[in-house]
Amino acid sequence: MKQKTNDFLMLDSGCCFGEARLSDPNFQDLMDFIDIYDLPDHDLSSYKCLVITGLIDQEFLYRHKEKIREFLDMRKVLFFGGNLFLDWLPGGSSFVPKTIRNHNDYDVSITKPHPIFEGVKTEDMTYNKGVAGFFARGHHPLPEGAEVLLNLPGGEPITYIDRHSTNGTILVHAGGDLFGYNSPVKSTGRIAFQLTQWVRDEYSQLQERGVQV
Amino acid sequence: MRKIAVLYGGSSQHYRSLHEPKYHRYFEKVIYLPDLEKTSLDEFDALLVPSQLHMGLIMKNKEKIQAFADNGGIVVAFGPQPKEWIPGQNWELRPTNFWWWLEKDAKSGLVLKNPEYDLFKNYITLEDATWHQHGVYWPPEGADILVSTEDDGAVLYVDKVSSKGTWIVTTLDPDFHFGSYFMPATERFLDGFLPWLAEGKV
Repeated sequence: MKQKTNDFLMLDSGCCFGEARLSDPNFQDLMDFIDIYDLPDHDLSSYKCLVITGLIDQEFLYRHKEKIREFLDMRKVLFFGGNLFLDWLPGGSSFVPKTIRNHNDYDVSITKPHPIFEGVKTEDMTYNKGVAGFFARGHHPLPEGAEVLLNLPGGEPITYIDRHSTNGTILVHAGGDLFGYNSPVKSTGRIAFQLTQWVRDEYSQLQERGVQV
Repeated sequence: MRKIAVLYGGSSQHYRSLHEPKYHRYFEKVIYLPDLEKTSLDEFDALLVPSQLHMGLIMKNKEKIQAFADNGGIVVAFGPQPKEWIPGQNWELRPTNFWWWLEKDAKSGLVLKNPEYDLFKNYITLEDATWHQHGVYWPPEGADILVSTEDDGAVLYVDKVSSKGTWIVTTLDPDFHFGSYFMPATERFLDGFLPWLAEGKV
């Protein structure tokens, strides 16, 4: 059996769209994977970051929300990319779909420059082969004190950081898995690497703050 | 109206598609997939299996689903199904044709093989079943292919030969896309497919 060497843990939804990720070489040296239904018995203490994507069984996460909260209260990082509809994520609110009148309604703007999106062009986030709508099609209402990174034209916050709801840090993106943006063809390919680096930096700061307390 | 049970994997896509009121009214029971093992299917006429369910749990319930069809039930399978749990399942994964509609002289590659079948005669059009395919099936001899690719791979077929019941199998994944707020044709597909499953001539 492979010894755990990675500091990121992804919950696998067990769906066929998630299957490719399990053997994708880009992730082997970054993430461990466990089946969602193995979460209750899995020791999370050695991981820096829990990665949860939009195909996940949120009913199950809701039933085990204490485990998620305990992980974050150990001064860890959690990334969720998807549409929330149940109250399992601290500070989280249900996804609100955007009413779309034309493709400009999907235009992504940078609310605040941030290392995760440094050098990433907004048009590369908005458009894929000239088609808009892949990056985010709505938003999650913000928890108090959240830092907004990206928004849609009506000001809807599509990506936010929450350092207030727990002792840890939560990054929520109302779209896909940002760790999947690693293609060198477009500027969005920078996201996965920059996100990984940000998580590690954030984790170090969280742990240092814990020592000071 | 047929009594339809639908499996529910707990994802946001399933949640939206199965709880949308205009679709929810067709479901006698929504069965949370981890509970399927201990849920009786005896009272239902049809079982809808959406796309993007946990494949381990589907495989665990393979015999139960097959027994439901063997007892005369209708089983519907949506979306790519790379694990073998459908009788005579002969799935060929193909690169998804996401972008066919951007090409010059755009052709979806879909062919309506049986326009007289009640689903297409009275409920949906080929356009309502047109977004993209993740692959094709090569169904058992005697199955009725309703929609195929130009090289005759099945995109939607009805199999009444592998069991006492009926298997309706499609590579299309309308539930995933409607649940993702993405791809308007998928809504038109579900608007017609569910009434057909409930009341049409299957």
